[in-house]
Amino acid sequence: MKVYPVLIKLLFGLLIVLPLVAGLSYALSYSLGLSGLLSKGFTLDYWQKALTSQNLWVSFLYSLSIGLVSVVTSLCIAVSMALSWNKSIQQGRLSYFIFLPLCFPATVMAFLVLQWLSPSGWFSRIAFELGFICSLNDFPNVVRDFYGVGIIFCSVLLITPFFTILMSNIYRNENLLELEKLSKTLGASSRKTLRCVTLPILFKKSKMTLLLFVIFVMSSYEVPLILGRQYPQMVSVAIVQKIQKFNLNDIPLGFAMSVLYVLLVILVLVLFGKPSRKYLKPNIK
Amino acid sequence: MISKVLKYSFVLAVVFPIVFLLGLSLAQQWQFPEILPQEWTFQHWGNSLFKQGDILESLFLSLGLSLTLASLVSVLAFFMSKYIAYSKYRQQYMRLTLVPYILSPVVLAVTFQYYFTVANLSGNFIGVLIAQLFFALPFGIVIFNNFWNAHLKSIEQLSFTLGASAWQSLLKVILPLSKPAIVLCFFQSFLVSWFEYGLTQFIGLGKVKTLTVMVFNFINEANVFYAALACVMLILPPILLLYLNKRILILAR
Repeated sequence: MKVYPVLIKLLFGLLIVLPLVAGLSYALSYSLGLSGLLSKGFTLDYWQKALTSQNLWVSFLYSLSIGLVSVVTSLCIAVSMALSWNKSIQQGRLSYFIFLPLCFPATVMAFLVLQWLSPSGWFSRIAFELGFICSLNDFPNVVRDFYGVGIIFCSVLLITPFFTILMSNIYRNENLLELEKLSKTLGASSRKTLRCVTLPILFKKSKMTLLLFVIFVMSSYEVPLILGRQYPQMVSVAIVQKIQKFNLNDIPLGFAMSVLYVLLVILVLVLFGKPSRKYLKPNIK
Repeated sequence: MISKVLKYSFVLAVVFPIVFLLGLSLAQQWQFPEILPQEWTFQHWGNSLFKQGDILESLFLSLGLSLTLASLVSVLAFFMSKYIAYSKYRQQYMRLTLVPYILSPVVLAVTFQYYFTVANLSGNFIGVLIAQLFFALPFGIVIFNNFWNAHLKSIEQLSFTLGASAWQSLLKVILPLSKPAIVLCFFQSFLVSWFEYGLTQFIGLGKVKTLTVMVFNFINEANVFYAALACVMLILPPILLLYLNKRILILAR
């Protein structure tokens, strides 16, 4: 038996499969009352509580809606930018600046949004100086608000540059400029070319990435921690708070939520992840 | 004309956050409704870098952690992805790899934190490094995934036909060809570690004070000037990497 394949399989099992399986097994056993400080043997009480808890479903729906709104908004801005400035993004000076926002971690972007949009923030100060508001309280509450405007704004700032680069690359790789010319030669208007040629190809080629980004935004932690509020909470923040709370009865509930979240993400990937052939298809013949 | 104005506005919008953070880190007093700080100082920079040195310490800790992780991931992902790419179970391996890649690091961290506590790995550098490896390694494998193709395999086989040993083929043929992919994997894994907060805080128990952890501490203390300073420190290395990335990748090609 060769050592090399065994070693690689061992590493794969130890570093990729084991942490996932061990973590989920522990979370599952805790949520079923089989381990932990308050464990009294097998029980489905915590799962029953978790599944009937309004907070949990509100968290999931809230996270999903923030993920969807952020990705759709970013996509609209990114497609407009990629189509209008395609040449500059690929070759010109803009190609340097377009990458710059990617250097901002989520923590830094959330801090910036807090400094800009909070009632005592920079935009509020400008509004005050321009006479739009008379006091701090007059400034609209867009940070730590119910609808998560601050979180969405921050997520849009974080993912739009990435989408712009992605769309610009698809535009070039799929030779969309030539296809657009052909479509116009065949009599289609600019609007029809955009609707029937450009946008469908861009969307088809980026479908999997868009899905992954909805999941990424849904499960983001730093941004809602800085810009979110206590209710409703994004799912990662809700899970961590349940597990870290002083109330020991909440810990199994938090673990049940975490298992449910992992299962939901895997389910979404299995159901909608078919286009991931790009990642999975064998390249070797 | 409108397009030009929009382009310049975009460039301004991209550069503005850096200027804003730099300005805030140099501010001493900034009361509402002043648009610009009333007093400016280099004191925060002096304190952080020379007198107290806590942010400087965090910078070196973060650099050490991210560079170690990036090196580990680049080496492991290179060999593991090669084996996976040539395996008949490639699809199954890649499906398994994608699961930790898309899950929230902090959610998985809370599920396996128990084992870190039992193994005495919570609250120290090694523990955080191992925890980050669990997330960055799948990322590295995904980066390398499409690099291994039929063309590369045929070049490797040709080198064997010409009498090269496995070691010679790796050193003289595969590694030089893999340079851009290795550089990309190194930079991306560096950034994964550099940007990470939730997992580092959870496994590090707040004792492993990376720059992101420091930023959060300063925000919680409402110390915006030091938070801005730590933010500047956080964005400088990625900007440098971005510059190097463009140069090295161009040179490697």
